[in-house]
Amino acid sequence: MRPTTLVRLALAGTRTDTARVALTALSALLAALAGLAALTVLAIPTPAATDENPNRWSEQYHNALLVEPGLRGGTAFALLMLMIPVLALAGQCARLGAPARDRRLAALRLAGATPGQVTRLVVLETGVAALLGTLVGLGAYLVGRDLLHRPDARGQLALPTDVLPSTGALVGVVLGLPVVAALATALMVRTVTTSPLGVSRKAARERGPGPWAGLLIGFGVASFAVIRPVVHRFDDSEELAWLVPLLFAVGALAAMIGVVTGTGWISYHCGRLLRRHARRAPALLAAGRLMADPWAGSRTFAALLAALIFGGAAAAQRAYFATKDQLEREQSRLAGVDGGANPFYLSTMDLVDGAVAVAILIATGGLIVALVEGIVARRRAYAALVATGVPRAALSRSVAWQALAPAVPAILLALTVGTLLGRGLVAEVSTGVSSTAICEATAALCDDPATREQYTRIVHTPEMRRAVPVPLEHLAWLGAGALAAVLVTVGVGLLFLRASTALDELRTA
Amino acid sequence: MTQLQARGVVRAYGPTPALRGVTLDLAEGEIVAVTGPSGCGKSTLLHCLAGILRPDAGEVTWRGHRIDTWSEAARSRLRRTEFGVLFQFGQLVAELTAAENVALPLLLAGTGRREARTAAFTWLERFGVAEVADVRPGEMSGGQQQRCATARALVTEPRVLFADEPTGALDTLTGEQVLTQLVRLAREQRTAVVLVTHEPRIAAYADREIVLRDGLVDHTGLGLDVPLAGGAR
Repeated sequence: MRPTTLVRLALAGTRTDTARVALTALSALLAALAGLAALTVLAIPTPAATDENPNRWSEQYHNALLVEPGLRGGTAFALLMLMIPVLALAGQCARLGAPARDRRLAALRLAGATPGQVTRLVVLETGVAALLGTLVGLGAYLVGRDLLHRPDARGQLALPTDVLPSTGALVGVVLGLPVVAALATALMVRTVTTSPLGVSRKAARERGPGPWAGLLIGFGVASFAVIRPVVHRFDDSEELAWLVPLLFAVGALAAMIGVVTGTGWISYHCGRLLRRHARRAPALLAAGRLMADPWAGSRTFAALLAALIFGGAAAAQRAYFATKDQLEREQSRLAGVDGGANPFYLSTMDLVDGAVAVAILIATGGLIVALVEGIVARRRAYAALVATGVPRAALSRSVAWQALAPAVPAILLALTVGTLLGRGLVAEVSTGVSSTAICEATAALCDDPATREQYTRIVHTPEMRRAVPVPLEHLAWLGAGALAAVLVTVGVGLLFLRASTALDELRTA
Repeated sequence: MTQLQARGVVRAYGPTPALRGVTLDLAEGEIVAVTGPSGCGKSTLLHCLAGILRPDAGEVTWRGHRIDTWSEAARSRLRRTEFGVLFQFGQLVAELTAAENVALPLLLAGTGRREARTAAFTWLERFGVAEVADVRPGEMSGGQQQRCATARALVTEPRVLFADEPTGALDTLTGEQVLTQLVRLAREQRTAVVLVTHEPRIAAYADREIVLRDGLVDHTGLGLDVPLAGGAR
C-alpha cells in the first residue's frame, strides 16, 4: 500500500472518527505543553555562587519556585505529573467510536487489506493525530512565550520566558509523544484480530482479577517508609546517593499501578456483591457489567486515581509544613520572641493543590469520554431493552450504579495510599534544640557591637516534636471533589443515554 | 374478543412513507403473521402496535384505550406488563447470565429476587435450555440465545407477544424448533402473537396472515401456502 493511500485511509471515517482524531490531537497538544513547560523550568541556568548571591538564586524571576534551584526539580516534576491525566485522556479518546472503526477495518480486510496493513492504519491514525497535536502545541508554546515575556519595572519575569529548552529536548517532545502514542496503540491492538467478518478480541478471563495489586501497593508504601531511615543512615554516602530517588520513583510507580489495577479487583468484587444481594434490576445490570469487564474501572478511573494519590501525598506534605510552622512559632514564643508565620512552603503547596485540581479536571474529561463511549457503543442493546418496556430511569440507575459502586472505594483507596506515601516521608515534625539571642535594650544599644553583648541573653528552648496530624479535612475535600467529578460524569452520560435509547436505534443500528 | 386494534395507521420516516393507513384487529390468543417484501412496513407496524413508535396518523387501541396518545412512560409500562417483545438478535444483556436475563422483566415489575429466579428457571426449562441458566449469551449458540430471549418475552405472561423476525438469525431446523415452542407456550397461556416475518414457512404457524405491500394491507389470508411444520397449529 502506498504511504499516501495509507494516510488517506487512516484519516477517513465518520464524524465520530473525526472527533476521536481531534481529541487525540488535543490531548497530545496539552501533554506537549506540560512537557515543554517542565523542560523550560529545567532549562533555567543556575548562576555561580557569589558573595551577593551565595544561594545561587536565579533572581530574574518573581516566583520562588523558579528562583531557588532546589525547588525547580519539584516544579518540573509537578508539571510532568500533569501529563499523566492528559495521556490517560488520550487513551480514553482512542476508544471513542471503536465499534464503527472496527466495522470499517473489517470492511478494509474484506477489500483485501492484510492484518499488518490494518494494524498500521490504526497506529498511523493515532500517530498522525498526536503529531498534529504536538506541532500545534509547539507553536502555541513559542507564541505564548513571546506574548508572556513582559519584564516588570525591576526587570523580573513572571515565567521563564527568557530560556528555551535545547533543540534536542524540543524535538524529543514533539516527536517522542506521537511515537509513544503510536506504540501504545500498537500494544493495544495486539490482542485484536481484524478479520473480513469483523473484529474480535482475545476473550477475557472468566475469573476475576487477583488481589496481587495489594502487594504492589504494600511495596510502594514500604519504599516510601524506608526513605527517611535510608537518608538518616546513609546521609554522607556518595555511593548510595542514587538510592533515595530510586526508592521514590519505584515506590510511587508501584503504588500508582497497584491502586489503578486494584480498581479492577474492586470493580469485580463490587459486582459480585451486587449480584449476590441486588434486589432490583438496575443493580443487577450494573453488577453484570462490572463483573464482565472489571478492568473498565481501572481504565476509566486511572487518571483520576493518579491525581488523587498525588493529592493525598500533597495533603500529607501540607500538614507537615503547617505543623512545622506552628511548632516553630511555639518555640519562638517560648523563647520570648514573636515569630511570625512563614507562608512560603504553604504558598508553594497552594500551587501543588492547584495542579491536583487541574489534573482532576482533565481526568473528568477522560471519564466523560469513557462513559459516553460505553453508552453509545451499547445503544442498540439499550434501545432493545427500552422497547421491551425497561424504563429509561432503570437504565439511568444502572449506569449510576456501574460508575459509583467501584468509584467510591477506589477514591478512598487512592487517598489512603497517597496519604500513606506522604506520611511515610513526613510523619513527625522536630524543631531541634534552639538557642536564641535576645537583646533587651533600645535599638541603638542593641545595634552597637560595644554594648550589644551586655544586654543580650541566650534563651535555650528544648527540642520540640509533634506527630503530623492526618489531614482529614483536606482529604475529605479531595474525596468530595473526585466524587463530584464522577457525579458530573454520570450526569453527562445520562444525557447521552436518553439519545442512545431512542427507539429509532432499532432500525438504524 | 378483539384486544388490540389499529385504525388507519400512517407512519413515515422523513419523506419516506412506511405505513399508509393500515387497519388490523387482534383477538385474544390469536396468532397473526405480518408478511411482505423488505421495506413494506412490517417492522414499523409491529413497533406502532407495541407502542414503541407513535403513528403519525390513525389510532392504536388496547382494550378500548387509545395507547398512541399515551406518554412514553405509560406505553413503556404497558410493554412491561401486558406485552412481550422479541427481536431477531441483540436483545439479551451480554453481561448477565441466561437466568438473570429472563428474570429481568420480573425484577423490573417488583417481583422478589428468589421468585424471579425460580420463574426464570421454569421458563428456561420449558424452552429446554435450563442447562445454560448460568451461562452468558456470548457463550451460547444462536438457538439457545433465541430460546432465552423468547423465555424472557413470555416470563411475565403477557397478553400479546410481538415478535420481529424471531428466527431470522437461525438455521431452518433451529428456527422451526424455537417457533414450535413459542407457539405452543403462547397457546397454553392464551397469549396473542404478532409475528413479523418474510418467510412463508414461518407465517404458516399463524392463525391468520396479513400481507403488506408498500405500507398498505395487500390481502389477508390463512397463511396456508406452506405445509405446516411440526403440527404447530
